[in-house]
This record gives sequence, C-alpha cells and structure tokens, in this order.
Amino acid sequence: MKRPTTGFRLRRLRRLIPLLALVALLVLFLSGCDTDTPQNTFDTKGEVAEKQADIFFLSMWPAIAIMILVLGGLIAIMLRFRERDPNHIPPQVHGNTRLELAWTIAPAILLLAIGIPMVATLWDLGREPSADAFRVNVIAQRFSWEFQYPEYTDEDGIPLSVFDQNGFHIPAGREVAFYLQSVDVIHSFWLPKLGGKLDVVPGQTNVLWLRADEPGSFSGQCAEFCGLFHADMTMTVTAQPQDELDLWAAEMLE
Amino acid sequence: MSSIAVPKRSPLSEALKGARHAASDYGSIWSWIATVDHKRIGILYGVSAFVFFVVGGVEALLLRVQLAQPDSSFLDPDAYNRLFTMHGTTMVFLVIMPMSSAFFNLMVPLMIGARDVAFPRLNAFSYWTFLAGAIFLNASFFTGDILSGNLGAPDGGWFGYAPLNLPEFTQGHGMDFWMLGLQMFGVASLAGGFNFIVTILNMRAPGMTLFRMPVFVWMTLVTSFLIIFAMPVIAVALFELTFDRLFDANFFNAEAGGNPLLWQHMFWLFGHPEVYILILPAFGIISEILPTFSRKPLFGYAFVVFSGVAIGFMSWGVWVHHMYTTGLGTVANSAFGITTILIAVPTGVKIFNWMATLWGGSIRFRAPLMFAVGTVAMFTIGGLSGVMHSMVPSDFQQQDSYFVVAHFHYVLFGGAIFALFGGIYYWFPKFTGKLMNERLGHINFWLMFIGFNLTFFPMHISGLLGMPRRIYTYNSDMGWNLWNLMSTVGAFFIAVSVLVFLFNFFRSLRRGDESGPDPWDARTLEWSIPSPPPEYNFKEIPTVTGLDDFWNQKYHEDETGRIVPTLAGGSAEAEAPEEEDESEHGHGIHMPSPSYMPLIASSGFPIVATGLIYDYALVPVGFALILIGIFGWVLEPATEEE
Repeated sequence: MKRPTTGFRLRRLRRLIPLLALVALLVLFLSGCDTDTPQNTFDTKGEVAEKQADIFFLSMWPAIAIMILVLGGLIAIMLRFRERDPNHIPPQVHGNTRLELAWTIAPAILLLAIGIPMVATLWDLGREPSADAFRVNVIAQRFSWEFQYPEYTDEDGIPLSVFDQNGFHIPAGREVAFYLQSVDVIHSFWLPKLGGKLDVVPGQTNVLWLRADEPGSFSGQCAEFCGLFHADMTMTVTAQPQDELDLWAAEMLE
Repeated sequence: MSSIAVPKRSPLSEALKGARHAASDYGSIWSWIATVDHKRIGILYGVSAFVFFVVGGVEALLLRVQLAQPDSSFLDPDAYNRLFTMHGTTMVFLVIMPMSSAFFNLMVPLMIGARDVAFPRLNAFSYWTFLAGAIFLNASFFTGDILSGNLGAPDGGWFGYAPLNLPEFTQGHGMDFWMLGLQMFGVASLAGGFNFIVTILNMRAPGMTLFRMPVFVWMTLVTSFLIIFAMPVIAVALFELTFDRLFDANFFNAEAGGNPLLWQHMFWLFGHPEVYILILPAFGIISEILPTFSRKPLFGYAFVVFSGVAIGFMSWGVWVHHMYTTGLGTVANSAFGITTILIAVPTGVKIFNWMATLWGGSIRFRAPLMFAVGTVAMFTIGGLSGVMHSMVPSDFQQQDSYFVVAHFHYVLFGGAIFALFGGIYYWFPKFTGKLMNERLGHINFWLMFIGFNLTFFPMHISGLLGMPRRIYTYNSDMGWNLWNLMSTVGAFFIAVSVLVFLFNFFRSLRRGDESGPDPWDARTLEWSIPSPPPEYNFKEIPTVTGLDDFWNQKYHEDETGRIVPTLAGGSAEAEAPEEEDESEHGHGIHMPSPSYMPLIASSGFPIVATGLIYDYALVPVGFALILIGIFGWVLEPATEEE
C-alpha cells in the first residue's frame, strides 16, 4: 500500500497551493500599502477614516483567525479521515447537543463583542456636524461635482461656486460639513482617505462631516452607478490652512 | 384503461388528440415540448441554466478584458454598462435560480418517494414562463444596432436603482425588457414555489415524516417559502416601475414628489431573501454530498435544518444593510447592523456541522466531494467578509467598492455555483446511468478553484484601495493595475475549467462507465431506483422507517457494534432493482398525460410584454394566448384517452 500514500501526499501539497497563494497575496498587499494609492482606505488622513479603519481591523483580525481555523481544520480533517480501506464503515455519529450549543453560543458572543464597539463608533461618527464646521454645499449631477461655499459670497450674496476643473478646496484641521444634493439621479460622495461615503439622493439633503488633519490633496469619486460616464465622475479636493483657503476664495470670487 | 367508459370529449381535446399522441412518443422533440415529467422539466431547467451560465460568463470575460488594463478602450462605456447589467441579472435570475430549480425538479420527488410533483402542468408552465422571460430579456441585445457595437440591453445595473431606471436617464428600451423580463421570472418562480411547497407537504411516501426528509428537501421547502413571499415584493416594485416608465407615473421621481429610496427598500426587501433563495439550495446539495462521501450521517441534522429555517426568517430583517449609505440615520443603521451580524450565527452552525460530518468519516475524494468541500471553504470566506460588511462604520468605506464585488462572488460563485457543480457531478449518474470522468472532474475542480480565487481574492484588495464597482475604466496611477490584471487572468482560468466540464459532460454522456443504481453507496431514496429512473420513478411507493432509510436497508450493526452490510457482497446488490419485464407504456401506473397547454399559456407573456413596449395591439393577443392556454389546460382531461 505504498502508492496511495504518495498519492495523498501529492494531494496534500496540491491542496496547500491555493492557501499559499492567498497568503502570498496578503503579504503582497500589506507590503504594497506604501505604494502610490490615492484612494487607499487604510492610508487615513482624518478622524472619520481613522475610526472607520479601526472598526475594519476590529472585524478583520477575528475573521482571518476564523478563516485559518476553518480552512486549516478542513484540510486537517480531509487528510486525517481520508478513506484508507474502502470497506471500512465509520461509526454513524448523528450529533452532539453540547457541541451544537457551544458553536451556536460562542460565535454569538464573539459577534456581539465586535458589535458593541461597532455601534459605539457608529453613534460617535453619526452625530450632527459641530456648530463651527465649515459648510460646503455639494451639488452632484451626471457626471461632475459642484462645490458651493456659503461662507464666501460675492457682492450680491451669491456663494462661491466651483467646478472640478478649478479644483475643490477645503480647510485643513477643521471639520467640514458637506450638504449633499443631487439634481438628477443617485450619486455617492466618497473621499476614501478622509472617510466613508454617503449617497447623494435627489429630493433629500444628506449631511456628511469629515476632517482633514493635515493639508494635502485627496482623490475621490462617485461610488454609486449613475450612468454612462459614472467612472469619470472623479474629484480632487485640496485641504489647506484656513488663511490660504480664504485667499484662494477671494481670488476665485474675482 | 380502454374498458373505462369514454367521457364526453371537449372539442379542444379532440382537436389536440393527434398532437398529444405524438407527444407521448418518448424521445421525440415534441415529447420534450409537451412534457410534464418532473425529470425532463428538471433537465430542461438545467440545460437552459447552463446555456445562460455560458452567456453570463462570456459577458464577464468581456468586462474583465476591459478592466485588465487602465484606460482601456476595448469596450465603450455604454457597452460596458449594459454588459455588467446583463451579467448580474443573468447570473442571479437565469443561472443560479433555474439551476436550483433544476435540482428541485430532478431530486425532490425522488427523494420523498413520489411519482411526480403535485402539479405537473403548473411545473411545465413554470419552466416555459422562465424560458420565455429569459429569451425576452436577452432579445434586448438586438434592439440596438448590435453590428456596430450598440447593444440594446438594459443599462441600469442589476438592481436598477431609481431614478436611474426612469426613461429620461436610460437609453433605448433595455430597462423595459429588464423590468418585464423580471416580472416573468417572478411568475415562473411563484408557480414553482407553490408547487414544491404542496409537493413536499403532501406527497411524501408513507413514513417519511418531515424530520425524515433529506436536508436538500428541507432547504427546497424553505427556499420555496422565501420565493412565495419575496417575489410579490419585487413584483410590486416592478409594476410601479412599469407605471413610471410606460405611463408617466411618479412613484420614484423625486422631482414630482416620488421617492427614489422606495425602490431600494422594495428591491432589497426582496433582494436579501433572494440571496438566501440562491444559497439555501446549495446548502442542501452539500448536505447530501458530504454524508455520502464521508460515509456518515449528516452531523446535527436537526440543527442544520433549524438553522436553515432560522436563516429564512432572519433574511427578512436585514435588507437595510444594502442601504447603510443612503442616509437612513444612525438608529436604523445600528438596528440592521446588529441583525446582520447575528445572521452569521445560523450560517456558522451549518459550517461547523459540515466539518463535524467529515470528522471521523471515511472520506472519498470524488469530484462531488471536492466541490462540496470547496463550497464550505469559499463560503466561509464570503461569510466572514459578510460579517465585515455588517460593521456599519467600515462599510461606509466598502459599500459599492470592489470589496463588495469580492464578497458576493465568494458567496454566490464560491458558495452557490461550486455546490451546483458538485450537484451535477453527484447526480449525473442518476439521470444518465453513466459516471462522469473522475480525472477530468478533478482537473475541472482545481482549475475552477484556483481561477476563482485568483479572480476574486484580489478584488478585496482593489476595493480597499478605493476602487468603486461598475466603473468602465480607471487611471493607471490608482494602484489598482496589478489586482485587476490578476482578476482578469483568473477569469480565463475559470473559463477553461468550464470548457473542461463541458467536455467531461458530453464525453461521459456518450462513453461514461455504467453507474448502476447506486454508484456512491449513498443514503437517500433516489439511489434505490434504477439509473435513469423510469418515468414513474417508484414501481412501488416505498415505506420509510427513518432518516437515511436507504442506508439503513443496506447496513446494520452487528453484535460487536460494527457497521456491516446487510446482504453479503456489498452495497450495490442490496437494493438492486428487479428486472423490468414490462415495457414503459405497459407499466399500468397512472401518470399525467403530456400537454401543450402550459407552453401556450407561457408564450403569451413575452407577447404581452413586447406589446407594452412597442405596440399595444399585441397586448390583447398575448392575453388571449394566456387565456387559451389556461382554458385548454383546465378542459383537457388529466389522462390521455386511448
């Protein structure tokens, strides 16, 4: 009975290939984090994105642990209990209530354990924007963005309005409240390094607050399919100190 | 039968008598068109679903070629949008659902010891309506100028969000075909859902109590209930959309006071149970395969059944997790975040029970087992990324990114499609009397397994690097190039694996080894009858005395507690069917006669739909056909007169 043994060794190796490939991918990914990735959700540049990333890792590490447990367990079981004698009939075990209760209750506890901080963060970030937040009205239309600045008005009281060819600007280090409105279909406003997205729904005004900790340039794009050139509905937002922003606005108003 | 007094014939049945006689000639094309035999309808479902699997797969390959490199111009944005809309719609409604229906049809009557489903003609009606809708939907491709690359297919995404689904934002009639085609799938699914509920509740063999049913039958029952409750919800949404699109109503038009989010609520109130409509049959299939190939009963049968029922109930309370980012507020998001997290509990129970089934077994590495274990492994990954999605704050980043695309492909391809392939390898011998080639089966599995992971695992990463779904192109400086190239290469591995499968399938049909009635030494009733089963399935309706009744007939415990075959010489002979000494038509068992009426009724639907889009004059014609079909069906005698 030598041959079946080598056969199974080969099989064992073959089974490991995909797992090794997954691990290799993960390593590649983690080492590739510092390359140029302008919409990397882990390269956080503000409070909102940071807290959201924390919640991501809070669920990712247990998920990876369970994945290794289950996949590793499956491989181990497959190898250990492979058929050795075709006439062997194993004991006909029908179940075990204690085990069932254990693997019902343990995951429920684990899930609630990550669920509680999740809800806490949700409420923390889900608050209204603070009173001194810098307000920007975002008008989404197929397939471009418009930012209106109520804080900067011309002599007729009409707020400064900027389209993407001019470049969007926000203050750094100050909370920004985006009032999102759509003139046509549903879009989604997303600046990954600053925080998660919020949909822009016609007929209602959704409010999203974000903060860029440092000056910088942030890339974003529409995340809800909005038609033909959805992919081209991109934007770049520059965060700069308040005084520079005021200068930029004054220049734009002229 | 000839001695029975001839009842007064209706003129319609008189006229169709000749045609029906042709239809009862087993083997002719007419016999397939008029069939009401659940096995043939199952085969029709399966073959149709596989054809559309290839169609949807080719659409996916075109999308992947376009995304292989940044700034590609292989497809223009219009074609890309129409293709991804059709890819999603096809894979959900034309592949996984009908392929599951194929297994319901093929297996449920055999597993419960019945000679057919409760309503054989309704069953045929269900299939033909599905096929009519599928052809109708795909006909939309030709409403554009297809030769110059302008496809006429729908362009609103598979969940067709309002108000993008309204005429002012869509090009051509694609979305009309989409909404009316989906409505037809709804009719087909409802007919099938009711049919299988009645079949399972009323037509079980004596002694087969609910808790002696195979898990696949249980999952069919749960799925059927989900279907009959979920389909009406999308039917309402689609009717409202039909009014909006065709008659200028304003259900979803915000400008006129309508509410675009109303569509999302209804779509996902249907859509989340739909996810379980897609996956529960797959869970049923692997709950049959794993015990057979580990030679042990399913571990924790009652827990697997109840967790399936629990999933069915809970699936109604999680739909808002598709809408976290629509601005419903923190209270709604918290509540649905928690319910979504908790649905992982019954799902986890199933995974642990499958592992415990394998534990302590004598595992035979046959192709069906490979696919079943692959399903458990891949669904685990998809389930875990599902839990990650339920975490509302981080989902704000992941929503509508490639991370979601990765997640639902792990669930629906790694889960459902892998299990369905396993099911084909497992039950192919039952319906053909031939075994599929094992070596090719293993090649098929490994190519698909590697290709699948190569395609979809990198999507987790591109998604976390900020790549939104449904974009026809991207810039080269986003850091997404490598991941997309990997996905495209993987997609071609999958394509090759499907070719290997097709080769294996047709080769085995012609030259496969004889399987005999019970090639896997299996546990459930379908293996106690010949392969392929006779038209009437069971010569005598079996009496069931326990779970895994067939296995208990083959094996028993001896004095020392070891499991030994009941009859000397092994399993296959234990229940070898008696020689058939009667010809197929002389078996003397009453079977329902073939009928063209279901097809006539079904063929009215696409005519009504075409009429709604192009010319109202066709609408009454279509309705007339439906009525003729239904009246003919009612007036036709149940048994052919001879």
